[in-house]
Amino acid sequence: MAMSSMDHFILIILSMAVAFIPRYIPLRIFATRQIPEWFNEWMKYVPVSLFTALVVKDVFMNSAKFTFVGFYNVAKILASLIVIAVAYRTRSMGLSVVLGLIAVALLSLVVTV
Amino acid sequence: MKKKEPRWLEVLRVTMPLCLSYVPIGMAAGVLLHAAGFNTLMVVLISLFVFSGGAQFMIASMLTVNASMPTILVMLFFLELRYALLGSSLSQYLRGTKKSFLFGFALSLNDENYAVNYLKFATDKSWKPMDAWMVEHYSLAFWTVANMIGSLIGSLITINLEIVDYALTALFIYMVVMQFKNKLTVLISLISGVAAIFFMSLFKSTMGLVAATLMASLIGFAIEDYLVKHGKAKGFLLSKIKPRASRLKTISKKSETESEG
Repeated sequence: MAMSSMDHFILIILSMAVAFIPRYIPLRIFATRQIPEWFNEWMKYVPVSLFTALVVKDVFMNSAKFTFVGFYNVAKILASLIVIAVAYRTRSMGLSVVLGLIAVALLSLVVTV
Repeated sequence: MKKKEPRWLEVLRVTMPLCLSYVPIGMAAGVLLHAAGFNTLMVVLISLFVFSGGAQFMIASMLTVNASMPTILVMLFFLELRYALLGSSLSQYLRGTKKSFLFGFALSLNDENYAVNYLKFATDKSWKPMDAWMVEHYSLAFWTVANMIGSLIGSLITINLEIVDYALTALFIYMVVMQFKNKLTVLISLISGVAAIFFMSLFKSTMGLVAATLMASLIGFAIEDYLVKHGKAKGFLLSKIKPRASRLKTISKKSETESEG
């Protein structure tokens, strides 16, 4: 069931709303008011939790069947270790992504992706 | 002599490293969106309107597994929720600006231009809301063009998508590493990873990601609250991890100078 361009357009507009609300509302409210402490404290741990979950989904899960594949994706696991090292040392987003892509492309020639 | 340089050029110079790093990631996003069925015009529109690497990759990968629109939007909301934090921490610097300015500013806010702007606002007194606005729109322009090129390349040649898809994972790994401020964040990351495997296997859907995120972030919140209330704010878990050349140094505000003193 492929989507038409019209469906894509609707998806884009709705995505825009979903992306815009969390960006705009706090900016508007806290331009005049103090941010509640508990909200800040909780929000501190949302990005790290979400990003890790997303990484784990790609590296350790079968994305179609949602089953745990263990250490089957050797190329992705090794490339991820390289990305962690590059990100930690250089703190450069571009370098992390480019070296990660090169690593996974080269590793996929010798081990399973 | 540097004063003679027009402001827009000066700001562009500050933004350039960010803009350049958007080129490969934007192209990868364009390739994947094309593979998910988006035409080039739609790729340009989503880059302009949504302007989020994570969101665009996620939409592409969810469309390829035929996820329903509500599922995509719920996941997207959780993914974009982090901007609430970014927005609220920048708001102090944007007091006294017009509503229309805030509107345009929020529309083009994302992780990377936030990092540039926060650093500039915190360290450079001459940094104005208008400069921050320019940073956002320069990065938006590079992002959109890179996406467009990616979608055109995607229609010309066949690319191993499994490999391009890894660009998103690498991007997220980078963002996780940037979040590692103390040992507790590393612990929460591990908890979230294990919880993600458990909940996704249980639910057989991406709702497992939402469950893992909520659980791990609340555990982090609870542990920090407990440690601070029991006078262990400077203990093992909460002591800072400081890599060399940390750009987070100026971002993590007062608490840092306190713990150093």
